[in-house]
Amino acid sequence: MFKDSVITARQKTRELIILLVCFAIAFFTNVGATIAYSGHWTEIFTQIGFVVVITGILYVLQWVVRIIAYLIKKIFS
Amino acid sequence: MNMENKNIDRRGFIGRLGGLGLAGVAMSAFPWIEACSPKTTEETGRDYTRIGFIGTGSRGCFHLENLQKIHNARVVALCDNYEPHLTEGSSYFPQARLYSDYRKLLEDPEVDSVVIATPLYCHFQMAMDAMDAGKNVYCEKAMAYTIEQCHQLYMKHKQTGKIFFIGQQRLFDPKYLKAMEGVVKGEYGPVVNVRNYWFRNNDWRRPVPSPDLERHINWRLYREYSRGLMTELACHQIQNGTWATGMLPEKVMGSGSIIYWKDGREVFDNVCCIYTFPNGVNMTFESVISNAHFGMGEQILCKDAMVDLPGSRIYYENPPKKSGIEQMIAEIEQGIFSNSAFAGTSWSAENGSKDPGISIMPEADGDGTLEIMQAFCNSAISGVMPPRILEEAYYGTVFCLLGDEALLQQKTMTLDKEFYI
Repeated sequence: MFKDSVITARQKTRELIILLVCFAIAFFTNVGATIAYSGHWTEIFTQIGFVVVITGILYVLQWVVRIIAYLIKKIFS
Repeated sequence: MNMENKNIDRRGFIGRLGGLGLAGVAMSAFPWIEACSPKTTEETGRDYTRIGFIGTGSRGCFHLENLQKIHNARVVALCDNYEPHLTEGSSYFPQARLYSDYRKLLEDPEVDSVVIATPLYCHFQMAMDAMDAGKNVYCEKAMAYTIEQCHQLYMKHKQTGKIFFIGQQRLFDPKYLKAMEGVVKGEYGPVVNVRNYWFRNNDWRRPVPSPDLERHINWRLYREYSRGLMTELACHQIQNGTWATGMLPEKVMGSGSIIYWKDGREVFDNVCCIYTFPNGVNMTFESVISNAHFGMGEQILCKDAMVDLPGSRIYYENPPKKSGIEQMIAEIEQGIFSNSAFAGTSWSAENGSKDPGISIMPEADGDGTLEIMQAFCNSAISGVMPPRILEEAYYGTVFCLLGDEALLQQKTMTLDKEFYI
């Protein structure tokens, strides 16, 4: 029913890099917000839950963009 | 309340209230708690008090249900002049002797203590007769129908030395005690206002099987028997102000009328009273029974926080700051979901705080009714009257009655010097 599929090492590396970029964006957003709203520096660690959630949201969003791009490409090719 | 602690004994009682960790200033503000401790009763060598119960209506049956859970209470006699109520009451204690005349119950030599849960107008005579008969008395609030009667009852207690409790259960409600502890200690700054309100949307009537029982059953609606909202609802709440400020109100003004339930009742269906303390702090009591939107509330407003007593929450004026990321998210949300104005407003409403507050005692259950009954039984056995408990109840009722006088006379009232105790 289902075909075997292979995720290459290159694809894995790419996804991990994308996830890392999402985490970095979320992390520095938290750092920026802590500075902008005069929060305590410990918020960089105490608010890590928000960082993880924002990372997930960003990762899902980039997948939505990639799927839309893939579909558009397929329609016009 | 879970099954494990449904039955409370003397140790259980102090455990429930002792667990509050009240100490120092707080204990001096609530001296009755310590005085009701089991240690005192253990020294007497007696294990229980024999109770004669007068008035087995709805409130009475609630007490009877509680008395089933109190190990050192034996309900030996029941009395009610309305047969259906007496039958219902006897279902809780089938072995108890039944009376239709409370004077016969008072003659019963096996009764040490009486609980009075009858309409307001009966409280005075029944409590006087009970103390004269050598019985300890637990009487439902309000204490009596007039200020003079309250004073006479207080003097009778002093004269006979009998234990005399009024059912001011908030004095034993763990939530109230914990919240008041912070207020009394001044943790939230000075008290600047006290708000009490009770809103309902019903006619306050009970079903009457025959018209000749109307006044007997719906006694709350008639002046001959009741002082209406002031004695049935305000008497729960007025005590909050004296408790929080440590002072007695200096004067009271108010207004009341019948605005919706024009069904032959004689008591007001909406009232509003303002009590003023010697330092100028005001306390309000407001009640309307034709709109229930706001429900019931008792709020102590201090300079730095508002204490919601029944909700057991504290709302700080400057709540703890949220983290930077939370503030940023909130601002983004506001930017997306709030309406954008065409031009800047020259005036905006001063909306109340949206701070969700901090829970004081999330684990608290009950309203103190079980605890105060337990405390009464402890005191009846030990013969030791807890300090200040009756004085708190006395002033609680007296200022409700004074408020009702202000409503009736349409003028500012002060309490006559002779009624200060």
